[in-house]
Amino acid sequence: MDSMHNPALALPALALPALALKEVSCRFKTSGSSVLALQSVSLQILAGERVALVGPSGAGKSTLLSLLNGSVSPTEGSVCMLGQWQGDTYKTVSNAQRRRLQSRIGTVYQQHHLIGNLSVIHNVNAGHLGRWPLWKALWSLVWPQQVGVARQALTQLGIGDKLQARTGRLSGGQQQRVALARVLVQDPDVILADEPVASVDPARSHDIMKILCDLAQNRTLLVSLHDVELAKTYCDRIIGLREGCILFDLPTAVVSEAQLTQLYDLEASAPY
Amino acid sequence: MKEFSRFRWQRHHSALLLWLSLLAGSVWLTGLGRVPLINWNGRSLIGQFWLAMFHPSLAGDFLGVMAEATVTTFAFAVCGTTLSLGVGLVGGVLCSRVWWHVWWPGPVGMGLWRGVRGAMAIPRAIHELIWGLLLLSVLGLDSIVGVLAIAIPFGAITAKVFAEILDETPTEPLAALINSGVRPSVAFFYGHFPQALPNLISYSFYRFECSLRAAAVLGVIGAGGLGQQILISLNALRYEELWTGFYALMLLNGCVDMWSARLRREMGFVGRMELASGKSREKSRALSRRRGSTLGATGQRAAGEKIFVMGSLGAIAIAVPLCFAHLQLDWSRVGRASILIGELAPKVSPERVLPEFSVSLLPLAVQTVAMAVLAITLAGIGGVVFSFPAAQNFFLPGGVLSSVGEDGRWSFGHVGLVSTRVILLAARAIPAPILALVILYGMFPGILPGALALAIHNFGILGRLMAEVNENLLEAPLRGLRSLGATGSGIIFYGILPTNLARFLAYILYRWEVCLRETVIVGLVGAGGLGRLMTEQLSSFDYSGLAATLTVFVLLTVAVDFVSGWMRAAVQ
Repeated sequence: MDSMHNPALALPALALPALALKEVSCRFKTSGSSVLALQSVSLQILAGERVALVGPSGAGKSTLLSLLNGSVSPTEGSVCMLGQWQGDTYKTVSNAQRRRLQSRIGTVYQQHHLIGNLSVIHNVNAGHLGRWPLWKALWSLVWPQQVGVARQALTQLGIGDKLQARTGRLSGGQQQRVALARVLVQDPDVILADEPVASVDPARSHDIMKILCDLAQNRTLLVSLHDVELAKTYCDRIIGLREGCILFDLPTAVVSEAQLTQLYDLEASAPY
Repeated sequence: MKEFSRFRWQRHHSALLLWLSLLAGSVWLTGLGRVPLINWNGRSLIGQFWLAMFHPSLAGDFLGVMAEATVTTFAFAVCGTTLSLGVGLVGGVLCSRVWWHVWWPGPVGMGLWRGVRGAMAIPRAIHELIWGLLLLSVLGLDSIVGVLAIAIPFGAITAKVFAEILDETPTEPLAALINSGVRPSVAFFYGHFPQALPNLISYSFYRFECSLRAAAVLGVIGAGGLGQQILISLNALRYEELWTGFYALMLLNGCVDMWSARLRREMGFVGRMELASGKSREKSRALSRRRGSTLGATGQRAAGEKIFVMGSLGAIAIAVPLCFAHLQLDWSRVGRASILIGELAPKVSPERVLPEFSVSLLPLAVQTVAMAVLAITLAGIGGVVFSFPAAQNFFLPGGVLSSVGEDGRWSFGHVGLVSTRVILLAARAIPAPILALVILYGMFPGILPGALALAIHNFGILGRLMAEVNENLLEAPLRGLRSLGATGSGIIFYGILPTNLARFLAYILYRWEVCLRETVIVGLVGAGGLGRLMTEQLSSFDYSGLAATLTVFVLLTVAVDFVSGWMRAAVQ
C-alpha cells in the first residue's frame, strides 16, 4: 500500500517534509542469505509532526529509523533528511554535509548506547560533540564544559542530582533520562526514538513518552513502539509496518481495531 | 545439531592428536633413553646449591650491593614499562580495526590497517634478550640498552593487546555519536577510548609484572641489577650469595605481583585471556562487584579501596621520574646509533643474507619447537595441579573444597596456599638462564635441560594465572554439587575442570607462543636450537647470518602463532 497521507491536522506554519523515503528497499546480507528488511517503502513526515511507528518485531522499524538518521544507506530508493535528498538519482552528499545533517537529528536508542564508565555530565555533553572541535571535546573530559546547560537539561528530566554519577551505575530508567538529556543538549530539529519504552514498566513508559513529547515541542518526532495504546495516546499519526512494508499510514483518530489486529496477526498473508 | 557436535568432537580430537605427536617427537629429540642425560658428577655441586638455600649470605656490605641491584632492576622495569606503554598506546590505536573503520572507512583504510598490524609483528616476534644483545652491539654498554630492550618488544605486544581491547569494546556508543554527526576522531577519543580505559590500565599493570621478570633476565647479559649480581655469584660458585639474590628477586616480584593483583582486582580487572577473548568481561565485572559487595559492604572499606588506588597512582607518578633519574640514561647514544646502523646496513642486504639460509637451520628450528612443546607441556600440567591449592577460594575454610567442619584460623589449606604460592613465585621470579645453568650441574647440555628451565619458569607464571582463573569461578554450581554430597575430587572433575579447562588450555597455548620466543634465553647458555646459533652469531658479529636466523625465527613464530590460534579455537 503506497499512501502518502497528509494528516488533516493543524500543523506549524512551515510544513516542510522533514523526513521522507521514496521507493526505499533495504537488503542485509547475513552469512550467505540476504534479508529484505524494507520493501519499496515511501513515506513523508512533515516538520512538527508527532508520528508513531508500530509493528511486530522484525517488521523493519529499526532499519527505517537507521535510514532516517543516516547510519544505513538504502539498497534502492532515496532518502530525504531535513530537505536533503540522497540515493538513487541524487548526487551523494559529502561526509561533512552528512555530519551536519546528522547533528540536527537526535536519536534515542532502546539500549541507550551511553558510554558506561564516563560520568553523566560527559554523556550529556556528548550532545555538543557535533559542534565542538577535538581539543574542546578532550579538554571537556578533564574539565567539564558548559556544566550549566547539562545541569539544566538533567533537572528538566528530574535527575539533576546525578550530574557527577558514573553512568553505568545508574538504573535503566535513569540512563534513559541521561540519553534524553543528551538529545536535549544536542538540540536537534528531529528526534528519532527506537523503542524507547521497550525495557521499562507501564508507568515509566508513560513518563518517558510525556518527556519525549515535551522535548518534541517545535520539533519533529518519530518514535517506534510496540504498544499501540501509547501510540494512540501520544502521537498524531500512526504508521503500521509489517514484514518490511507499510500496512497503513493514518491519523490516529482514523486507525481502526481491524487494522491493528491485522498488523500483529502473523498468520495472515503478506499485505501485497 | 547432532552433526554439529560431531564436527566439534573431531576438531578438538585432531588438536589433541597433533599435540601428542608433537610431544612424542620432542621427547624423541631429547634422546631420552638413547644417550646419557644425567651428569652424576655434579651431585656434590647440587648438594651445595640446595644446602645454601637455608643460609643465604647476609653480610652487611653484600646486602647493600643487593639492595642497590634490586632498585636498579625495579627501575629498569618501571622505565621499560613506561616507554612500552607509550609505544603501545599509539601503536594500539593504529593497529585497531575500529580506528581505521571510523577514520578511513573503505578498502584503503583496511589495507593500511593490515600493513601496520603486520609491521608490528616483527618487533614482537624477537625476544627482549635478542633485542638487548642487538642494542648492546649498536649502542654500547649503557642502561638505555636495557630500557629499550624492554620497551621495543613489549611496546609491540602492548600495541597488539591494546588494539584487541579497543576492537572488543562495544561500539554502539561510538556508532550513536557518529550517527548524530560527530566527527569520527572526536567520537573515538570521547566515546570509545574511555570505555576501553579500565582494561587498558589493568593490562598495563600485568605488563609491568612481565617487565620486572624481563629486567632480571636482561641483567644476565650485563644490563645490571639483580640478574647480573646473581650471574656473578653463580660463576664464582658462591651459593650463599646466589640464594640472597634469589630471595631478593622473590621479594621484589612477590610485592609487585601482590600490589598489581590487588589494584587490578579493585579496578575491575579481568584475566589476560579475557582481555584477549573479551567474552566474560561483563561476567568478571559482575564478579568483582559481587565480591566488593560481600566483602566491602561498609563504606569504610570502599573508602580504603579508593585510598589504596589513589595512593598507588600517586606512587607511580613519583616513581617514574625517579627511576629514569636513577638509571642516568644516555639518550645521545640513540642519536649516535644511526652511524653504526649505517655501517650495519650493508651487512644485512639481500645478497649478503640470502646465501646464509641453509638446510642446517631446519634441525635447529625443529629443536626450538621441540623445546617449547616439552616446556609448556610440563609447565601446563604442573600449573593446573598447583592452581587449586594456590587459589584462595578452594581449600581455605569456607572455600568450595574445604571440609565442612573446618573453621580454624590456620589449617592445611593455609599451609598449602602459602607453600604453593611461594613455590610458584620462586619459579617465575628466578630468570630462566640462571635456572638452566643450575640444571646443567646435573645434566648434560641439550634441549632437555633448556626445556626444563623454561618449564619451571612458565610453570610459575601459568600456575598463578590459573589460580586467578579458579578464583574467578562462579561458585554457585560448585555449592550445588557440594550440597548433594560430592567429594572434593568429584567437584574438581564435575564442576571446576569442565568450566575452567578450556580457559586453562587457552592460557597454555598462549604461553606456548611466548615459550617459543623464550627458547632464545636458554639458548644463551647452550641449551640448543636457534637461540644458541643466534647468540653465537651475535658474539662473532656475523650480522648477515643473524639476519637469516632471525628471519627463520620470525617465520617460525608466525607458524606457531597460527597453530596455537587454531588449537585454541578447537578447544573452546
